[in-house]
Amino acid sequence: MRVLTDERRCVGADLGAWMAAGGGAGLERALADRGGIIPAIEAAGLRGLGGAGFATHRKWAAVAAQPGPGKWVICNGNEDEPGTFKDRFLLSRTPHQVIEGALVAALAVGAADIVLYINPREAAAVAVAREAVAQWEAHPLLARLAGALGEAPRLRVVTGSGLYIGGEETAAVASVMGGFPFPRLKPPFPAESGVGDAPTLVNNVETLAHAGHILAQGPEWYRGLGLGGAPGTKLFSLSGDVLRPGLHELPMGTTLRSLVFGHGGGVLAGRAFKAVFTGGPSNTLLTAADLDVPLDFDSLRARGSRLGTGAMIVVGEGTSILRKTAEYVAFFAANSCGQCPPCKIGTHQVSRILERVEAGAGRPGDLRALENLAGLLPGSGRCGLVDGAATVLASSLRTFRGEYERALGPSGQEDGQEDGQGDGQGDRLRGGGLRGGAP
Amino acid sequence: MSAPAAAHGIPHAAALAAWRGRAPAPPRALALPAPELLERFHPDRRPGAMVPLRVGASAGLPCRAELAALLQSDALVEDEDIAGAPLLDADVLVIGGGGAGCVAALTAARAGARVLLATKLRLGDSNTVMAEGGIQAAMGPEDSLQRHFEDTLRAGHFAADKALVAALVSDGPGVIRWLIQEGMGFDLAEGSDRMGGNLLRRKPGGATAARLLSYRDFTGLEMMRALREAVLLAPGITLLERHPALELLTDDRGRCAGAVLHELARGRPVLARAGATVLATGGAGRLHVAGFPTSNHYGATADGLVLAYRLGAALREVDSFQYHPTGIAWPPRMAGQLVSEAARASGAALVNGLGERFVDELDTRDVVAAAILREIAEGRGVARDGQAGVFLDTPGLERAKPGILGRSLVTLTHLAHRAGLDAAAEPFLVRPTLHYQNGGIAIGPDGWSGVPGLLCAGEVTGGLHGRNRMMGNALLELVAFGRRAGAAAAADARAERPRNIGLTHLADWRRALIAQGLPLARKAPLVFPPYGNFDMAKDRGRAA
Amino acid sequence: MREDGLEGGAGVRLMFDGHAIEAEAGASLLQAWTAAGLPLTENVGCMGQGVCGACRVLVRREGERLADTALACETPAEEGMQVSFLDHFPARRPHAYDLRALTDSWTALDQIDAVFPEAKNCRHCSGCDRACPKGIEVQRMVNLAAGGEAFAAAALFDHCVMCNLCVAACPEHIDPAHLGQFVRRMSAALTLRPGDLIARLREIERGGQPIDPEAPGANPPPGP
Repeated sequence: MRVLTDERRCVGADLGAWMAAGGGAGLERALADRGGIIPAIEAAGLRGLGGAGFATHRKWAAVAAQPGPGKWVICNGNEDEPGTFKDRFLLSRTPHQVIEGALVAALAVGAADIVLYINPREAAAVAVAREAVAQWEAHPLLARLAGALGEAPRLRVVTGSGLYIGGEETAAVASVMGGFPFPRLKPPFPAESGVGDAPTLVNNVETLAHAGHILAQGPEWYRGLGLGGAPGTKLFSLSGDVLRPGLHELPMGTTLRSLVFGHGGGVLAGRAFKAVFTGGPSNTLLTAADLDVPLDFDSLRARGSRLGTGAMIVVGEGTSILRKTAEYVAFFAANSCGQCPPCKIGTHQVSRILERVEAGAGRPGDLRALENLAGLLPGSGRCGLVDGAATVLASSLRTFRGEYERALGPSGQEDGQEDGQGDGQGDRLRGGGLRGGAP
Repeated sequence: MSAPAAAHGIPHAAALAAWRGRAPAPPRALALPAPELLERFHPDRRPGAMVPLRVGASAGLPCRAELAALLQSDALVEDEDIAGAPLLDADVLVIGGGGAGCVAALTAARAGARVLLATKLRLGDSNTVMAEGGIQAAMGPEDSLQRHFEDTLRAGHFAADKALVAALVSDGPGVIRWLIQEGMGFDLAEGSDRMGGNLLRRKPGGATAARLLSYRDFTGLEMMRALREAVLLAPGITLLERHPALELLTDDRGRCAGAVLHELARGRPVLARAGATVLATGGAGRLHVAGFPTSNHYGATADGLVLAYRLGAALREVDSFQYHPTGIAWPPRMAGQLVSEAARASGAALVNGLGERFVDELDTRDVVAAAILREIAEGRGVARDGQAGVFLDTPGLERAKPGILGRSLVTLTHLAHRAGLDAAAEPFLVRPTLHYQNGGIAIGPDGWSGVPGLLCAGEVTGGLHGRNRMMGNALLELVAFGRRAGAAAAADARAERPRNIGLTHLADWRRALIAQGLPLARKAPLVFPPYGNFDMAKDRGRAA
Repeated sequence: MREDGLEGGAGVRLMFDGHAIEAEAGASLLQAWTAAGLPLTENVGCMGQGVCGACRVLVRREGERLADTALACETPAEEGMQVSFLDHFPARRPHAYDLRALTDSWTALDQIDAVFPEAKNCRHCSGCDRACPKGIEVQRMVNLAAGGEAFAAAALFDHCVMCNLCVAACPEHIDPAHLGQFVRRMSAALTLRPGDLIARLREIERGGQPIDPEAPGANPPPGP
């Protein structure tokens, strides 16, 4: 069952067509029962679909509890992660679905400033969103919203920096304020202190897009969309070594096997399945042992991984995990904002080691050095960028160590590997066994 | 194993009390004539310290035993090891990335040569960067090149080569101009303008005139920063970091034709073929001769002496080392690190455990060092946690010249902080530390060794300092002779082309070792000190 | 006592580049590494003086969330530390200039922008300041240099030890360490003209400073 990607709702900037396709019903319902919005979202079990999986109603309630006026809603469409391409679809093909959700949120929390915060590199999304926003201006629903809020809502499109880091919620706030998208330490959370220190709700495009539907069709309907107790649907950005890559909207809780082998048509050229990089790609890899794991927040967390943005980058036999990891860590290194030297320098150091290992110029001790960094770096930044890089590194080292060892070759091996089994857990002290000898 | 560290002496607390009680201690001249003091207390004069070399161009020459063992050892590489090794070509190969190497490379490259600069560690990692006190150049109206010449000879006990010393001191003022052109800063006399003012001059130990120019108390760092940038930006210099030289190459005429380098990153040999080779590998402090700690950087392992000697170069004064009087004695983890002579040049006194001064602090380094060792040996030292030394009275200096520690002895103040003491309140505990190799490869005024195609510059050379180097002549030497060697190498490289390169000199060398009954099992150069836990023979097998 | 300045005995335990090692209390990280028998062929230079910038590391102290950059030779080993060596590597692209060609000091300030155009892109993240083990106000230097205040910028970089951690830390590829050296070198090369040096050079040129190798002071004094 497709909700967000239903062809009938993909009407572009045409507000009339959106209304004709059933749009506006969610906002109508919200206006009719403002106090029921957050309970409905809670009952639906909607969670942050930008990657965090945080319960949406809590964020909304936190902002709603703050004194107004002057609050903000930021609809986060910064999307810049490798392998993620869902927000640009929603913003360019069905922007009113997103806007309506944002307006529902604004009503729920009491915010009159609503910003569609979009990655400027997605020119089509920006253009369509601007046109869509303009069409709302004279719409009677907006006037009714003004009445409920006590002031006219200011709906606008803000293009960010185009930098990956701008997707982090405090960075999004900084960017909307016209500054460089520097993440900052939390707390305070944007719900307490966001744009201009005002309480600010920051939600992902996909999250907000569901809100109108939940109001219009009820939490029960939404819960019923998912499988195995997980509510709703999820947009999966499927890419890599699959026959049919692309955006797949599937019930939350669909198994990895079903996504890859059913909807994705299987691994390209009939090769064996190796792994999937999920979400950022900043999480623990999913392997063949995880094929029957339901793809939802809790099931993946229970497996030590994360759903993230729903990006699923499939790696089949013949594709190098080492090279992929190097590519992603290099991405994180390049996109580290610079505020935290351990993040900038640490990811860069990992990237350099991976590049030389990959290029056949690895050195004895490189694997240990990588493991050590994977243990040392997490937690060392104001935001989670360095944690993501360390997680994907640790995971690929742990699960595909053989690929690293092959690339290192005999000259890159340490001798006397008495404790060189490598568990990727550089963060605990290994007892005894001081190493002697030379490389 | 470290005799000078013998811990008997006056306990630290009692010594501190004596120091406080007598402050400021009155100056006192030596109670012993300098020659006798040196004879009895200088580490180089201890029985068994020196052995005559038995093979090579300087057979018969007395040499520090630890160094002789390395000099008279077999090569690390065989002919078959270098078959199939990658070959790099250049006009001039410079070995060593410290001050002398950088200056030689810059000079040769600017003369039009294609230069390879190979260094064991990273560009700039060297003793140069650690030099604190300054650089000598006769600048004052009361001073002259002649006085610099005579002071240098006298400080070196008249053992230096006069032609080399004349070249050194004559280059002095021009070297300072060259360094300013490379972007190095110098301290100006108080109140002096940048244009037309005077340079700040101080009197180095053993000098008759104020001749020591400086940049704060990190002159070497300021120099190395400018030189490093210049080398990194110079067209015509290819930099090879982490490429120690394992053996020099010869051609079929017996000329030096480059070197076998070891690429540490890959564990494989690389051949660097060059028309002329400049050895600028620095000193030998990390041999820890006589069991002394050292102020030297990690790479100072005498590699250049070993390579040049095996190829037939003559050595001189390899039985003479400089023990800097004021190395840190406590805390042990900082043992050997230098407290700059700038402290004594500025007026800091040396005080024994009885609160007495015992030597003219500005006498030559060998005399001051021997005097300290005498105080310790005769029980008048200060003992703390098993270490023995004497006090360097920085609090007394600060009292006499308020503000001097924070203003012009920045490195010293920083050092005290790391040692966990306040230099303005508590004296350093110091004792001599192995600092400089006075002798080295014999060269001519243009840096030529006796071996065709091989030039040398910097601490690896001998003849400039005789048997004791003056403070401030090391930085001068490395620029003066770096320029001379670089220019000569560039000129010569255009005339000569190596042909049929290889390791043909090794057969004769091994015959000589065997004839003298010397073991072939010992291999050199050392490359890294033993506590570097690195086995070159094993590493060379990595890429195989 | 050993040559590396350490004495035997157990002390603190730490994790260093994947090796669980024990170090004597008070030992520097670099001493802890070698005392554990681990090979040291890079990331080392002056061994404790703190002037060469070779031994750069990332350090996380026990109980702290954020890691720090530091120099291993002057950082004492502590219980529960996690440490990683940081490679040295050249700047992403060289900022090329020829100091000797910079003879017209009227163009000096333009040259700063021409050679280091990234300097004006400073995003003020302060990462360079945080990365500097010497506490240099790196970002202020960058901003002063970009604004043409060469002397002020040069003065701020007085204590730079060439560790290049600011180069690694800068997301805009400004290469602050090299910019700092550029303004320092330019300041010296273009404006330092000591009068006593110039006078002495002129004197030498005119042959006014001959050396007599056989002067009385050039030979040992006659024996007693």
